[in-house]
Amino acid sequence: MDDSARPNLRERVNAFVKWLFTGFDPLPPRDSKVFNDALLGNLFFARHEVAVIDCPVLQRLRRIKQTGLVHYVYPSATHTRFEHSLGAAALSERCFDALLSRADIEGTRLGATTTGSDSDLAHLRMAALLHDVGHGLCSHASEQIYKLLTDMREFEKDYPGNQPGEILSHLIVESPTFQDFFQEHVVRRCQARLDLKVISKLILGQHEDKNRYFLANIVSSAYDCDKLDYIARDSYYCGLALTVDLPRFYSMISTAEYNDHKVLVLRSYVPLEQILFSKMTLYGSVYHHQKVKCLDSMLRSIVGHIADNAGQASFPVREHEAVSFNDPVHYLYATDEDFFGQIDGFGDEYVKEMLARFRNRDLFVRCLEISRSTVRNWKDGRQGYIDMNKDPIQLAAVEAEIKKRLPEGEQGKCNKDDIRLSVPGLPPISGNALIQTKAGGEIRHVEEYFPVRAWTDAYAHNKWHSYVYAPRSIADSVRDAAISVIAERFQMDIDVARSNQSCHR
Amino acid sequence: MPTTQSPVLPDHILGAVLFLAQKQLLEKDSTRKRLEFRVYDFKLQDIFKTLQKTHPILNAFVFTDHGPEPYSPALEESVSRLQLSGLIGRENPDYEVVFVQQTAGRFYEQVLHKELADNLADLTNVASQFLEMIEVV
Repeated sequence: MDDSARPNLRERVNAFVKWLFTGFDPLPPRDSKVFNDALLGNLFFARHEVAVIDCPVLQRLRRIKQTGLVHYVYPSATHTRFEHSLGAAALSERCFDALLSRADIEGTRLGATTTGSDSDLAHLRMAALLHDVGHGLCSHASEQIYKLLTDMREFEKDYPGNQPGEILSHLIVESPTFQDFFQEHVVRRCQARLDLKVISKLILGQHEDKNRYFLANIVSSAYDCDKLDYIARDSYYCGLALTVDLPRFYSMISTAEYNDHKVLVLRSYVPLEQILFSKMTLYGSVYHHQKVKCLDSMLRSIVGHIADNAGQASFPVREHEAVSFNDPVHYLYATDEDFFGQIDGFGDEYVKEMLARFRNRDLFVRCLEISRSTVRNWKDGRQGYIDMNKDPIQLAAVEAEIKKRLPEGEQGKCNKDDIRLSVPGLPPISGNALIQTKAGGEIRHVEEYFPVRAWTDAYAHNKWHSYVYAPRSIADSVRDAAISVIAERFQMDIDVARSNQSCHR
Repeated sequence: MPTTQSPVLPDHILGAVLFLAQKQLLEKDSTRKRLEFRVYDFKLQDIFKTLQKTHPILNAFVFTDHGPEPYSPALEESVSRLQLSGLIGRENPDYEVVFVQQTAGRFYEQVLHKELADNLADLTNVASQFLEMIEVV
């Protein structure tokens, strides 16, 4: 299909939502519901919210793990995007309630409505509930792959500040098919007069009414309900004793007028420090754990192989058109359950073998570490190397070059997707927060009190590691070839002994 | 896979502006060894938003059109990535002063000079205005 004939991203997202809703014809929910959440306890959802929770767009999130492939390292981390979404909705209300209490104490007005199905609170909860519906296969693990696809990059330009998953959530909520469902099942049958436009904007961290901008801050900011939930939830399910003192946090938030906007402010930066420290710890110990990065790289091997061999290896999820992972929307069709349950490997031997590796946790091994502790001339700069995080073409070229430099006898032992170079980005930490220590006082940026961003950068830089991964059988040869390629291309003086020590080889 | 390469990475543009600003500063004041300036991230966002109005080369830093103040995540990320790659630094304990590392010069000479050759005049102009808008220490 040539590009001009191809439906645009919005149309393809709508086709996906249409596919999800095929054969879905529910009765209206009888009543509200209480969900018992392991982390947050009893969570109450109104009847119209239950209608959305029960629809395929939300139910699909039960089949996507919140932390992608982390459960291969932290076995309890099998929680899903579904429960996180419920948690985020509940926490959005707790933030809202805290703002109401604060306004009451300080004798001001919040200026947002709380009762009725068309209230600001109802919109806020619905946005939080739907904020992650754009997540696909293995959550952020696949987001790192599809965000580099051409049309996602083009589309992203219209959404500065939003992650690809958020953009897809927004497009799903704005899709005509979801709008039809919402109009019929939520607005008409449940008598909930919610404006889906407001909800889809809130998902992006926007609100057209400047006096209600703080609602967008609750959904998307340095300390939004998403982070409050996932920091607590991910650390809980990974068994890490991280603390975010939520009651203290709630007591420290308020709203204030700033540049014609009513924004969320903190009365103290201490809760923000706690959130950022916990988030950094999660990145260091969980999301960027070397084995997790290895698993992410192996996932890239599979989808990259399918994309490059779409004729023989594709995911038979839709009639007439197979999913071949060369389109961001394809990552929505494939949930974790569907993908890893394909015993026959989509009809491709390499994919079959790789899926068996996942089933048996037979992972690639680290062959080489590139970091401040293994590169002797680290201070000489490494911009070209870091650029590969944003440049998949150069990354693929380096991987291909490493394979090319393997001894002849070894080359035949591996597939081109067996050699993976992981060049992680930096954790997306926004320290962009406003502090107003007392009502009516001066509003200042958090960095005027504490260098939040520089501090998190310093932490991240010292934790930053890049690895070359490959199957154990060819690890030594891949290490030697990788040293030769990286040293030559990026003028890096690699301390092999230290790398070996760190890779346990 | 249908991936594309950005024509010029925002990191490279920021790296070039900082290096060229340093070059101009050292030409004016030979007692200095490097460009050091005090800046908060939100101020840097303000400065680039202002410069962008007259310099389309800075359009790589896309700013959000909502919210109470200008914000470009690409700019925020570029600052972090230039630190990670060793082109700029900040000093303990307060991290308030940003300085340009020697490596920035090498990277400019080896890569940026060629890559940005067509935009050199404009970038030099940006660097000059940038220098006037920051608090050099």
